[in-house]
Amino acid sequence: NKSRQLTALSSHFWSSQPSPPVCGGRRLFSTEAQAANIPEELRLSDSCVKQLKKISETDEFLRVVVEGGGCSGFQYKFEMDKNIGEDDRVFSKDGVGVTIDKESLDFLKGSTIDYHEELIRSAFRIINNPNADHGCSCGASFSLKLD
Amino acid sequence: ATRRRLIPQRVALVLTQAAVQKVQTIMDSRPDMIGLKVGVRTRGCNGLSYTIEYAKEKNKQDEVVVQDGVTVLIDKKAQLTLLGTEMDYQESKLASEFVFYNPNIKGTCGCGESFSV
Repeated sequence: NKSRQLTALSSHFWSSQPSPPVCGGRRLFSTEAQAANIPEELRLSDSCVKQLKKISETDEFLRVVVEGGGCSGFQYKFEMDKNIGEDDRVFSKDGVGVTIDKESLDFLKGSTIDYHEELIRSAFRIINNPNADHGCSCGASFSLKLD
Repeated sequence: ATRRRLIPQRVALVLTQAAVQKVQTIMDSRPDMIGLKVGVRTRGCNGLSYTIEYAKEKNKQDEVVVQDGVTVLIDKKAQLTLLGTEMDYQESKLASEFVFYNPNIKGTCGCGESFSV
């Protein structure tokens, strides 16, 4: 229940903020979150940051989208995007950024974005999503935890 | 007269040019290995999924595919399911992966990683 309160609190916090300026304000944004002692809602792993540095052009963000589909009901989609809309939140680390729309973020709170490299496949993936039940082995699709 | 074999012989695995190049670069970084080994294992929402690992030596029952100078071994368990498969390598900004076009499969999962035969 405590986490629920915290989530409610944090969403209140975000909604009470004026909508953040699109580009220059994102660093400020995450410092604010730290100051208010709210756990980062989306973490970027080191390998994710490293890969993003390699592939992203200036002002280009990795967009994460959750949509219906896949074998378990929902699936993650990744793409590169330069346009940040009003409903989008930006999480940045070491000069690279990930953007996500608010609806998708609800499904992803507390997760980590990772770039996983192995012989057969190297790709971005979502790990440690506290909202997802065990999904497909590929990790691209998941079902929601029902409590 | 000697008995002829009447079992159709197909190439077990065909690599595309992109796959050959990628295997080559992987092998260049690991000169102690003789090739890559493709296998399947029971996993995923549709029953099976492909695996790729380094091969240090050839097992007795591995099928060897040599194409354009690169060696790919096929695990014994995977030989039936992989027969006639094309192995490709696709690279984009967001992901790079080996993909298999397998004529034997009945169904796949949305992610494309899992399949049934």
